[in-house]
Amino acid sequence: MKNEKQFKKRLFAGLLALCLIGAAFSVYAEKAPDAPGLEMARQAQQGMAANWTTADHSTFQPLKKKFATGEEITEACISCHSEADEQVHKTLHWTWLDPASNPEYPKGKAGYSVNNFCISANAMKDKKCSTCHVGWNGKEEKVNCLTCHGQEKFNFTEAFADLKYFAESGDEDAEMIMSDIQEGIAGAAQKVGLPTRDNCGACHFYGGGGDGVKHGDLDSSLSSPDKALDVHMGVDGQNFQCTRCHTTRNHQIAGRVYGTPAATDRKSLIEDDLMGKIMCESCHTAQPHKADEKLNDHTDKVACQSCHIPAFARKLPTKMWWDWSKAGKLKDGKPYTVEGPLGKEEYMSIKGEMKWAKDVVPEYLWYNGSLKTVTAAEKIDPKKPVRVAWPVGSADDPDARIYPFKIHKGKQPYDPENRALLAPLLSGPYGYWTTFDWQSAFVLGAEALELPYSGKYDFVRSDYVFPTTHMVAPREEALSCEACHAREGRLAQLSGFYMPGRDRFQLLDIAGWLLIFGTLGGVTLHALGRYVFRKNGKKK
Amino acid sequence: MRKLILIIVAALFAIVSVAPAFAFEKGNERKGKYTYRKVYQACNDRGAIESAKPAVNPDDKTQSQWTRIFEKSDFAGTFGCEEEWKALSQDDLADIYAYLHDHAADSPSPAKCK
Repeated sequence: MKNEKQFKKRLFAGLLALCLIGAAFSVYAEKAPDAPGLEMARQAQQGMAANWTTADHSTFQPLKKKFATGEEITEACISCHSEADEQVHKTLHWTWLDPASNPEYPKGKAGYSVNNFCISANAMKDKKCSTCHVGWNGKEEKVNCLTCHGQEKFNFTEAFADLKYFAESGDEDAEMIMSDIQEGIAGAAQKVGLPTRDNCGACHFYGGGGDGVKHGDLDSSLSSPDKALDVHMGVDGQNFQCTRCHTTRNHQIAGRVYGTPAATDRKSLIEDDLMGKIMCESCHTAQPHKADEKLNDHTDKVACQSCHIPAFARKLPTKMWWDWSKAGKLKDGKPYTVEGPLGKEEYMSIKGEMKWAKDVVPEYLWYNGSLKTVTAAEKIDPKKPVRVAWPVGSADDPDARIYPFKIHKGKQPYDPENRALLAPLLSGPYGYWTTFDWQSAFVLGAEALELPYSGKYDFVRSDYVFPTTHMVAPREEALSCEACHAREGRLAQLSGFYMPGRDRFQLLDIAGWLLIFGTLGGVTLHALGRYVFRKNGKKK
Repeated sequence: MRKLILIIVAALFAIVSVAPAFAFEKGNERKGKYTYRKVYQACNDRGAIESAKPAVNPDDKTQSQWTRIFEKSDFAGTFGCEEEWKALSQDDLADIYAYLHDHAADSPSPAKCK
């Protein structure tokens, strides 16, 4: 009886102690500082909301004139920004060529690069693709500074064409209309500043010929996103513009990936405050989580994006499949379009069959920051899917980490004789979209690239990857451990390394079970011994 | 008397058949684009609408729908800004009609207002 009372007292005391410890921990947790990585990022962001502009361009004389062409606006810009023109001419935005690639067969949109979307820009001879070049008329005219710096949505191409028309029309009302047009042009030219999300998005949200076609993590929903879609760009939060991370030196913008990584140094601003800020670690450091958290041990092998972007295309659908072999069907002799359940085209006579998806779970691959690409000038093996763009890296690569990707799959044309991908000319009066004649499109495309074409064609399965790095979700939405550390988790297909929870190592399993059963056995034997021999103690 | 009736009937027939042709006569679509924008700009300037950007785009309707609207002269009902529409000349209307009709949803070059 006495023992029972004592036991109850002890049990009560124990429970009380547990409650007190729990309460103490919760108070500590409430008052505990945020993870160092978050604190660092906040410091890096301090004062960024302030307006850094020190000039009102509407007061500048060179921008007050009546512009008749786009090039005149550029002249006005470089009359003050004297080095800008030359700087831009050296950037990828102007050359569309990867400076690190083989000069004989350069990679890039103006070179031999192909993809499984609109396939090729045909060395910039496809004028539809060139509408996204930063020149007033591709590379044929001067740099259009307003593509990136214009703060007003204004159709300069249309305005200059109308201006020319009215100047030549002889219409009695022409002068008044021209004056209105020129006022509009000058007004738009005077509204300049740092590039906004809409400046970059005008091309990058619509890559591949439409909203969200190419990138799963870049579409027009990022024009004005909320925090739930992107914690950095959310207008109800930090409201980052692209340039906050894509930092620039001499108009060279950080972040482009071809054969060379976007950044080779994984440094934080503490280590080097003048470096580019393109990596998560630039602001969040390589130990972003709270001290002693196991998650900090992952950052050398798992990219931040893997856990913090649980899905892409969370607001708008992205294209996941494009089968060019189905293109060319007509109804009553006319091209047609079939819309799918997501409000996007499932079939287009000019483009073939497509599949779209929303809220897509990424695929995970080892990635050291470089992509290996196949150009139209290289040999392929048509017996297996051609990896037109694929990440470089493996579990053994010290620079590689597990990274989330969108893999765009499709079927695209190739030359079975030359065993090379084909680059048909698509737009314009002689392109496939007008003629529906593959043969002529292949001939014109090959001529543009100065590559051979045997006259035979077929279609081959192909894959093209895009690293997923935008649409970072709020931390509450980040993946839990079980998302990957499970037999059928997100990393189930990734091989070449041992991962607890997913993989089995028989010897380790046996040793573990032996340890568990051994401990249990020992405790049981000890308890039994105490029970059996308890009377001896009492007698004494 | 018979002659007079015949003349009247013939005149009426001529008016009825030719009138739609006048009503649907298209003006200069380039001029129409700017006149159309000016209507909304003026309407915005006097505070009748919130944005100077035209609320109705050419590709919001088909060519036959535009034709019907201009046939009925139902401008205020379609576009609002009654005051500004009333002030437009017949030539202005013909220009605007040309712009909207030539960039309608079923036209070869559907367009939105910039």
